[in-house]
Amino acid sequence: MKLSLRRVRSVAYKEYKHILRDPFTLIVALVLPLVFVGMFGFVIDLDYKHMRVFVRDNDQTSVSRRFLQEVASSGYFDLTPVHGQLQADKALGRNDSPALMIIRSGFGKNVRAGDPAKPGQIQLLADGTDNVQAGIMGTYMQGVLQKANAVFMRADPVLAGQSIAADSLIRSRFLFNPELNSRWFIVPALSTIIIGLLAIVLTALTVAKEWENGSMELLLSTPVRPAEIVLGKLIPYFLLTFFDILIVFALAIYVFHIPFLGSFLLYMLACGVYITGALALGLVISVVTRQQQAAIQFAFAVGLLPSFIFSGFMFPIENMPVFFQYFTALFPQRWFLLISRTVFLSDAAPVTLAAAFAGIGLFAAVMIVLAVKKFKTDVEP
Amino acid sequence: MNEEKIVISVKDLVVAFGSFKAVDGVSFDVRRGEIFGFLGANGAGKTTTIRTICGILNPTSGTVKVNGQDVSSSTAVLKPHIGYMSQKFTLYPDLTVRENMNFAGSLYGMSPEAISRRARELTEFIGLPHDLPDPVSHLSGGVKQMAALASALLHEPDLIFLDEPTAGTSPATRVAFWDLIRRLARQGKTVFVTTHYMDEAEYCGRIALMERGKIVAMGTPQELKDQFFAVKPLELSFLKPVQAALRAALDKAGIASAVFGDKLRVRAHDRQAFNRAARPFEGAFEAREVPPALEDVFLEAVSGRKGV
Repeated sequence: MKLSLRRVRSVAYKEYKHILRDPFTLIVALVLPLVFVGMFGFVIDLDYKHMRVFVRDNDQTSVSRRFLQEVASSGYFDLTPVHGQLQADKALGRNDSPALMIIRSGFGKNVRAGDPAKPGQIQLLADGTDNVQAGIMGTYMQGVLQKANAVFMRADPVLAGQSIAADSLIRSRFLFNPELNSRWFIVPALSTIIIGLLAIVLTALTVAKEWENGSMELLLSTPVRPAEIVLGKLIPYFLLTFFDILIVFALAIYVFHIPFLGSFLLYMLACGVYITGALALGLVISVVTRQQQAAIQFAFAVGLLPSFIFSGFMFPIENMPVFFQYFTALFPQRWFLLISRTVFLSDAAPVTLAAAFAGIGLFAAVMIVLAVKKFKTDVEP
Repeated sequence: MNEEKIVISVKDLVVAFGSFKAVDGVSFDVRRGEIFGFLGANGAGKTTTIRTICGILNPTSGTVKVNGQDVSSSTAVLKPHIGYMSQKFTLYPDLTVRENMNFAGSLYGMSPEAISRRARELTEFIGLPHDLPDPVSHLSGGVKQMAALASALLHEPDLIFLDEPTAGTSPATRVAFWDLIRRLARQGKTVFVTTHYMDEAEYCGRIALMERGKIVAMGTPQELKDQFFAVKPLELSFLKPVQAALRAALDKAGIASAVFGDKLRVRAHDRQAFNRAARPFEGAFEAREVPPALEDVFLEAVSGRKGV
């Protein structure tokens, strides 16, 4: 017997009615994401300006001075010159400055040479104790560097004639914690991960509820098949949570003015696949536990821990032991954060995210198959 | 028994949960169009048997055939022919009766028009109120049961399984329910019903008495009465308060009795033994022969007597 789309639709419509008549589900699904994104949006101060940066200019050329002018004119950084290594070290240890910028000698010469293999180099040493500010500073500095590159290219007739990438004249390298860059870029991503957690909880209740109130017995006595029940339950919750994601995204971009450089469609595709995996995981939990209380405890444990520990959100994956670096590959949160970061920060070609998409896609597919296979078709206790 | 008419055939059915045998070697046949009753106390194995026939519980051993097909291997084919009303209330409490019916009907592949037509017919047939806009959870127990029955009958199944349909309902609802069951049988439907109300079993064409996973007796109500009661039971009315003492004396003599209101019902197959035991109480009671009820049969069957 083949999968009946009609029965899938019937199950989906019935679930939709349940959702409409269940205030708990509606509040959890619609209000909580708004609370989260609002909380993140307001708590994380996005308006970092006039950050004090000490500068040690070892180049002392017109190019390095011109570059520092560009940095200062951005408005984000107040530059204070320091001289000598000792003063530089002291400056970094002071609490009132988050960073020290070192312009290497030869900077001006390299910039003028225009050789992509030997760009002008600056070093930014950021105070990692305030990782949010350090991350934001790094991101701002990227923007300033890009602008400076463009300025130099325009100003120099020799350089202007060459096809040199905008970022190849000056490059920055972060000494501390390169994964920190701008946490607030991932506010919508983090909200989506929390929506994913909610998704696990929401679907974790649905099948268990049917077992507890006895309606599963009725369902099993009809011709409906496990795959139809699983898909029928996924669809309305997918629509509900995807609606949440759209709201969160709109709030992040239009209310909190979080920059978004990549492809909207690519990001939404990632959200859709990620949420499908989370919903299916909830169904697997529900199908296996068959009890609401056990299901909800399981859902929180399974949803919460990987979201923060193995996703790379709290602890950079690159800094983990090798085993755990591979282990994190099992968790879709890791891949989704990678996609979010990349899509938010750059307009990278989709092909660069193929592995990450494969990660979340495979997880979703495995979870759907598991939910169907583990679905009990008899009422044996 | 005419083989062509057999729609349910159960042979040596065993359903075990771990070491516990809920159903232990049960065999019986059900014919098309009959009302077949399964009687027994709670935990006797009635629900387990019905669930196995409906294909929602796997047998440990033995065979279950419906319409000549093995249930285990042909579940998908058989389900559209089966209407099942569970002992547990299984409609969705937050949906209205009509929404529940729409959902159930659509799972059987019925079109919205067909569901509407059947819903109207069943509302008439069952006597459900036409307009029930509230969620099922707001309805009274009797209406809920009727709605559950309507939902089970929506796809016009040939075989209807009703597991304790009248449990916990009012006497009026019970009467209405059995009236419906008889009307369904008159329409040619086969009705398999379980109950622990002995008076209800009188409405069945045939009954099987179940005790601890085994069928202890089976036949029409009259056949069972004849089988177990060649000598009719006695009903004693008391002129003096000797009921307790007499009962103790009967117990001592191995004669079973049961209190029915202010009367004592005595299954006195051996009248001489009864007379001996009751002699000290002569003049304190009046005895008359009464037709055996199914309850008497059940008690006899459970006590292990094979009938006389």
